[in-house]
Amino acid sequence: MPLLMPLAIPSVKAFQALPKWLLLLGLLASCSTTNNNAPVNLKAGLPVGAVLSLTGNANVYGQDQRLGLELAQAAFKPGSSMPLNLSIEDGGSDEAGAINAFNLLINQGTTALIGPTLSQQAFAASPIAQRRGVPVLAPSNTATGIPEIGSFISRVSAQSSVIAPISINKVMQLDPSIKRVAVFYANDDAYSTSETTIFQKAIKAKGLNTVTVQRTQLNDQDFLNQITSALRAKPDLVVLSLQAVDGGNLIRQLRELGFKGKIVVGNGMNTPNIYPICQRFCDGILIAQAYSPELKTKENQAFVATHKAQQGGRVPAQLTAQAYTAYQVIAEAAQRLNKREPLKGMPLRQARLLLNKEILSGTYNTPLGKISFSRDGEVKQESFYVAEVQMDPDGKIGRFALLK
Amino acid sequence: MEVWLQLLVNGISIGAVYSLFALGYTLVFSVLGVINFAHGAVFTCGAYFTYIFLGGVVGSNGLLATQKLPVTFPLAIALVLAGFTAAMVGLLVETVAFKPLRRRGAEPLLYLITSLGAGVIIVNLIQLLMGAEAYALPSNILGSMPAVLAIGHGLQIRTVQLLLLIVGGVTMLILNIWLNQSLSGKALQAVAEDTTTARLLGINSGAMIQLAFAIASFLAGLSGGLVALSVNIGGPYFGISYGLKGLGVLVLGGLGSVPGAMLGGLIIGITEAFVPAKLSAYKDAVAFAFLFLVLIIRPQGLFGKPPIEKV
Repeated sequence: MPLLMPLAIPSVKAFQALPKWLLLLGLLASCSTTNNNAPVNLKAGLPVGAVLSLTGNANVYGQDQRLGLELAQAAFKPGSSMPLNLSIEDGGSDEAGAINAFNLLINQGTTALIGPTLSQQAFAASPIAQRRGVPVLAPSNTATGIPEIGSFISRVSAQSSVIAPISINKVMQLDPSIKRVAVFYANDDAYSTSETTIFQKAIKAKGLNTVTVQRTQLNDQDFLNQITSALRAKPDLVVLSLQAVDGGNLIRQLRELGFKGKIVVGNGMNTPNIYPICQRFCDGILIAQAYSPELKTKENQAFVATHKAQQGGRVPAQLTAQAYTAYQVIAEAAQRLNKREPLKGMPLRQARLLLNKEILSGTYNTPLGKISFSRDGEVKQESFYVAEVQMDPDGKIGRFALLK
Repeated sequence: MEVWLQLLVNGISIGAVYSLFALGYTLVFSVLGVINFAHGAVFTCGAYFTYIFLGGVVGSNGLLATQKLPVTFPLAIALVLAGFTAAMVGLLVETVAFKPLRRRGAEPLLYLITSLGAGVIIVNLIQLLMGAEAYALPSNILGSMPAVLAIGHGLQIRTVQLLLLIVGGVTMLILNIWLNQSLSGKALQAVAEDTTTARLLGINSGAMIQLAFAIASFLAGLSGGLVALSVNIGGPYFGISYGLKGLGVLVLGGLGSVPGAMLGGLIIGITEAFVPAKLSAYKDAVAFAFLFLVLIIRPQGLFGKPPIEKV
């Protein structure tokens, strides 16, 4: 058994040297963070950071988003008078990862942030940017209350309350005999809890009977007990507010256990990355979307063409389009601002403030269609869609087929 | 009644995996008296190896992007191969994280730290090589077998569940026979009982410890593959929750007890299955609360022996 060793009391001499050490530490600390009154560092372009979930459970979204940012970088850099210098940081799939990445980028002197990927992360990390006066443009946060975090927080991802009810309306058009609904959601995830509330309101508004509400957790993999319980209630329709990995798993197990009715899923499963998870069982699920590759605008057609050329003919996912849009919004706002008030020599604090105002005041022709922002940073978007997942017979390749 | 049966089947099938997993902890604990925290990472390796041996292609975000084996193995062989490859990883963990400390007679706490470190390195290595994305074993892997078997009125068993149950049960049976009937199994028990005496009797305790690691890791790899078959691979961190559950089973069954690990896994699995639907999101908490209660009544676990105090 090791002996208990008490802390040795330092000598008086050690205490005498304390002020020197504190001074040194202070100097080091001041070197590690950027002075807000120093001019913006424009050496490689206007510094902009992106915090994406490249690891962890939500990495499937982060990969889509990274692709969108890379395509946007290529599209908006050439010939620009104020190119963006984009730094992408991995925010993991939890709050701590997003907070660390936000702090890192803010301390490096970023003028604006894109991200984080998950609403759950945004509620933890975006208040930090708000306190530091750094504009945040969320490309994929759909939970209620994101822009309300503060005046520096806005989003290009339409909130669940706008999108979710559309898919319930559509499924009722397709099958008016639906009466009984089973609802699943992850109760440890802000997006899921927010979206399920909206889904449940929409279900009630349609006069449907919610026969069971099953709660899961984000990291759950085995849903047999929840499914057994839900199937006992004999639902005609299952509505899921889950993320891609857990949602894909649940659909596979639900179908394997014999559920033949319609399945409506929320924005968390709005990614082609669900195909390898639920495979042939993904077929037929319905989802409301804020983006359609079939939108016939000049901007979207150009975006789709570039994406297809780079991705072997695949059409872009919503998250890719939204990340692209977020970059486009900041790039265009930076151009306008720089034209009116040159950013060269401008103090960082002022640049962040003015860029935020510029972002919110503009109108943008993006792959999502024409968008603008409300005063509090909520996106104003014109068109929404409902798609059905159609899988090939071997269950390897699928597509979101637009329902007219 | 069907519902109860259905829940029981659900509980037993996942419980069999917990048991298999916890047996790995038990074997190492019995010979070294420490917990191998890299066991969860070896379990994850097993899942990934199964995917690779089944002809899976590596996703686009790892160093091995778009790579695949030139051959594809049938499921049974892929599972066994995954178990053996995981055993190699386990032996590596033993050589790097345990053996040097054992030679120096280090404190048991240090083993925990080195094995934890080895686990973190393995998980990060998986992420580096395979990317962080989720992987799914082909849904038609069971060939012409139906995805679900309907038994009686309303009782449905996923074929994968049945497979988990059968493979888990058979493996545990073989392990038990080997431990009790074979010479090497008895030698392992002797080392677990008293390493010094076993050495004096001519048993190579170092080799036995390596054997324990190899078998434990084989079991982890096999259960990783089986779980991947049932619920897909959620990413490199997918073994963490199973690792925690396995620890719970180890303690519930009694440290170092093989029957304890078997029964403990089933109890935890069934407890989880019978958590009411309204509390289903808290099934882990309910299972651990139950474990907590059992341990208050019987601190040595179900099959553990109370410590003998020398006076």
